[in-house]
Amino acid sequence: MNTRLSKLFLFLIGLLLLFVAAACSTGSKPEISLVADSLLASEAEQMLWQKSEREQRTFESNGLIYADLQLEEYLNQVVARLIPETVPADLVIRVKVIKSPYLNAFAYPNGMIYIHSGLLARMENEAQLAAVLAHEMVHCIHRHALRAFRKYSHQPAYLIAVQKMLLKTKGLQRVAHSIGVTGAMAAISGYARELEAEADRIGFEWVLRAGYNPKEALALFDQMLSDLAQDGCEEPFFFGSHPQIGQRADNLQNLSVPAMIDVSASKKSSQAFLAKLGHVLLYNARLDLRLGRFKVARESVEKFLGIKPDDTRAYFLLGEIHRQRGRRSDVQAALDYYLRAIRLDPSFAAPHKAIGLIHYKKGQHALAKKFFESCLQLSPDSPDKAYIKGYLKQCTLSEES
Amino acid sequence: MKRLLCFSLLICVVGFLACTHSGGLNKPASFGYKVDIPEGWRQIDNNRYLLVTKDNPFQQYILVQNRPVGKSYRHTQKRMRTSMLPEEAAQIIIDELISDQNLVNLKLLNNSPENINGYDGFKILYTYQDAEGHAFKTLYYGFIKEDTFFNLRFTASDGFHFQKDIEAFRYVLRSFEIVKAETT
Repeated sequence: MNTRLSKLFLFLIGLLLLFVAAACSTGSKPEISLVADSLLASEAEQMLWQKSEREQRTFESNGLIYADLQLEEYLNQVVARLIPETVPADLVIRVKVIKSPYLNAFAYPNGMIYIHSGLLARMENEAQLAAVLAHEMVHCIHRHALRAFRKYSHQPAYLIAVQKMLLKTKGLQRVAHSIGVTGAMAAISGYARELEAEADRIGFEWVLRAGYNPKEALALFDQMLSDLAQDGCEEPFFFGSHPQIGQRADNLQNLSVPAMIDVSASKKSSQAFLAKLGHVLLYNARLDLRLGRFKVARESVEKFLGIKPDDTRAYFLLGEIHRQRGRRSDVQAALDYYLRAIRLDPSFAAPHKAIGLIHYKKGQHALAKKFFESCLQLSPDSPDKAYIKGYLKQCTLSEES
Repeated sequence: MKRLLCFSLLICVVGFLACTHSGGLNKPASFGYKVDIPEGWRQIDNNRYLLVTKDNPFQQYILVQNRPVGKSYRHTQKRMRTSMLPEEAAQIIIDELISDQNLVNLKLLNNSPENINGYDGFKILYTYQDAEGHAFKTLYYGFIKEDTFFNLRFTASDGFHFQKDIEAFRYVLRSFEIVKAETT
């Protein structure tokens, strides 16, 4: 078995064991009411919240939060539309965006929801966002973390198993360390199956009540599944896991939308929604480009251009996506995008250098020289000036010879 | 005990950073290399790359590796190509490092062209922390020769060990020679 598959297999076995552990735990402990008047009345919950806050501080100090107050405000407005009246006064639901191209959203028991830029960038409309947020809000409001931890409070082996699994899984050491066990359970393994199903079911009701079409999320899940299959991605998080997305989609399929819901309403709001996302689309496209996920990077930039058709950086990024992908037909496309970026903003140095590189590699040194020189003129302190000066030297040598 | 665990984790990270993974080419690199190991440094057995340390890899190590150009990386799906310029190769290494969730607070301090014993390549200098918060600094040289990507890197705990042992790395760099890989 190849290495990647065997690691994935081990990860899935780990997850399976956790779910089995979850399923096997007894139901003899006292029931926790679904929604309390005051969550902090419970000592166990106070402890869980304090733990969450500590984990969040560590997590946020690592520079992983995408700081965009307008975007956060918008996300919190969507939360306000979804929130039921029965929420305890001490539970404030807030949303922040994490700089990560991987597909995920997760909630801490104290109401802090984190959504990855990668998941936001895949969304087409507010209804899809509402579906994801509502699912996470149910985890907070219905105290899923407390219910899970009380179940396992006499099973330290369970938590040790969670930590061990995280430390063995590709790319998760940093996450496991940063978000701690509380966050990791929410972000990576998810809760027990019945709690996740509850989050799907109740979230569906909240989304409907807020006037969204919950079935819009199906298109998002389909897109995510298709991207995962196409890229052969190995994503470490809950919403990036093929079985988990499939389960969310199955649960959603089984719930019915009343006939009076206007399905087209969500579609109409697509442009307004993308405008709210704004630059996070471009930011995440850069992250996807680093990962070599050219297709999803391009789709994000195209979405962005749908709302800002004259953005010079977006055209430059499209040029980068094509140049770095390096297929035969990509070179001309990259050149076209770079030239368009220059037409929109002649003072933007980066496309000058990129065009220079393309000509340089083709051996067209005179043309290359012209663009390298214009790049250095526009940005004399460019961090890559040592490379550019090297290219210019080669171009001059080539002309002389 | 904690230190032992950190050490084991570090070895894993070093391995992950250096090794290639499924989906890549199975063809071995066409070129090998030889280097002189500085006095007092010892080699840690490994058949994928050369790893030497003076104290232990948690304090400092030098890693030398040859890998086929088209082989995939662990995090980025980008692959090197024989036609790439040193700057393009450096970009892939940087993308791989930035996409690696194990490297916390990665800071790229320098990325510049560099001639490595007659071969046009690149040099990058970066710092990062591991999951436990230990700070490291790495100086990474790389270049492509035909279908082989060579890289030589020196990683040490940021501060004392980096300054103290950098000269040993320069000694390894100066001694670096390409040889035709043995065919089996």
